[in-house]
Amino acid sequence: MTLIVAGKESFEMQAKEQEHQASLEASISAWIDAEADIRPEDLDTPYGRQVWDTYHMIGDVLRSEELAIRPSDFLYARISRAIDEEPPIVAPHRLGARRFARAGLSGFAIAAAVAAVAWVALPYFATGEGSVPEAPVMATADPQGFHDYVAAHRDITGVGPVRQVSFEPGARP
Amino acid sequence: MTGFSGMHTRPGRRSAMCRSRRARVTAARCIGLLWLALAAASVPFAAAQAARAEPVAAQEPTAEMALLLKMQDAARTLDYSGIYTYQQGSTVLSTRVVHIVDGTGERERISMLDGQRREYIRHNDTTQCLLPDHKVVLLERRETDRFPAILFDEGDRLAAHYDMQLAETPQRVAGRECLDLELIPRDAHRYGYRVCADTATGLLLRLQTHDSQGVLTQIVFNTLDIGKGVQSEALSPAWNTKDWDVVEVAVHEVDLLSEGWRIPLPPGYQPLTQVAREMKPGRQVKQLVASDGLAAISVFIEAYVESGTNASEAGLFRKGAMNVYRKRMGDHWLTVLGEVPGDTVRDLADRTEYVPLAAR
Repeated sequence: MTLIVAGKESFEMQAKEQEHQASLEASISAWIDAEADIRPEDLDTPYGRQVWDTYHMIGDVLRSEELAIRPSDFLYARISRAIDEEPPIVAPHRLGARRFARAGLSGFAIAAAVAAVAWVALPYFATGEGSVPEAPVMATADPQGFHDYVAAHRDITGVGPVRQVSFEPGARP
Repeated sequence: MTGFSGMHTRPGRRSAMCRSRRARVTAARCIGLLWLALAAASVPFAAAQAARAEPVAAQEPTAEMALLLKMQDAARTLDYSGIYTYQQGSTVLSTRVVHIVDGTGERERISMLDGQRREYIRHNDTTQCLLPDHKVVLLERRETDRFPAILFDEGDRLAAHYDMQLAETPQRVAGRECLDLELIPRDAHRYGYRVCADTATGLLLRLQTHDSQGVLTQIVFNTLDIGKGVQSEALSPAWNTKDWDVVEVAVHEVDLLSEGWRIPLPPGYQPLTQVAREMKPGRQVKQLVASDGLAAISVFIEAYVESGTNASEAGLFRKGAMNVYRKRMGDHWLTVLGEVPGDTVRDLADRTEYVPLAAR
């Protein structure tokens, strides 16, 4: 979730608000992990309930493989590309590595990670297998320009009329 | 960053805050990735899923499947000669085929009877394409089956993607009795097929490709001799190629995945081969061929050139069962085609990604 919020709205949001939200998420994560006492009044907002539900769903998915989907190679490719495109940032030492280490092991980090999976993966699967709108065919005429491709296809597949390899005298090595 | 922070009254503090937030976001992403990788690697459901998708085919093959395999076997092991016709729309092309199995293996001669004069002389994996107009022999070394052999592999994935129905009343094709086998696709990623296999030998006599509207293309024997009547003299080419140039077609294997191409094949399709070839002089094209055992798709990848080929138009094109979808992806042209529905080639192209940085 951090990923989405940070990516889309970080420039619009007031710094304070973001800090508050991040701490709310961290708190909810801690409540779910039973590491802190729940403050129901903080949870009782649309956003708070949403985070609560999402984190629980993530927990369920992590614990139960039946609920999980296997991300495709393409997802990994997209993520590594996104990271490669990310401008290099030098993290200030002052914050110290320990806080990140702590975050890395908390339910919050897991939650953020898996939320990212769900967000990125779903549109992909939605368009992949479901009903696809009928493609407008631009030309039903003989795809003349594609003769070479069709020939190369038939050359390997042997489907259709016997392959009519286009041959140009210039092609001689 | 320096320029940006310099505009503020308290640059040091501001930029530190800015950095820390960005750093946390980046860290969260890295942690996210780590967990993602761990989750994907550790969870054994991938194996479970695979087991679910591909039930082990230990049981007896169905009568339909057995017929398909018999068809394939007959095309490779029988002696036969005849003329078959390819028909699509207003196009009719006739071809004479002579196929003989002797002590050295398979020998085949295919003569084009329409259009340009051309013959293919095959001995096992070596095919000579005779072009009398150029006095050239194109030499290719590759295993290629073609009509009347139609399966690309053992056909083990066909049952998962086609419903098969064997007809009860026989048909008559090329003066012989044959039995229709209907292959009905279970999804929209392939066409339907109707094959008529010779009752006596299993040899394929007629292949029809159809969609819900009707027959798109068909290949059918008009005359056919099977067995003793086939003379080995019929294998001799029509021309003496003694003085002709022999050109070996240079095709070498490539690995598109390791180059960073992510090509999502439709369900049931598996890659057959990946090659690089020269299509026109100096124009290198990479080609991936994938198949579900019966239907085949080719994906062509080549450098984008501003001006040049007459096929530089993007979009979806179709002729009969053949659909072609072409699009530009940055510095590349992507051309996907095959005798499969238009949505299938278009989807494949639109979901293909090029990530050279993720190449492995």
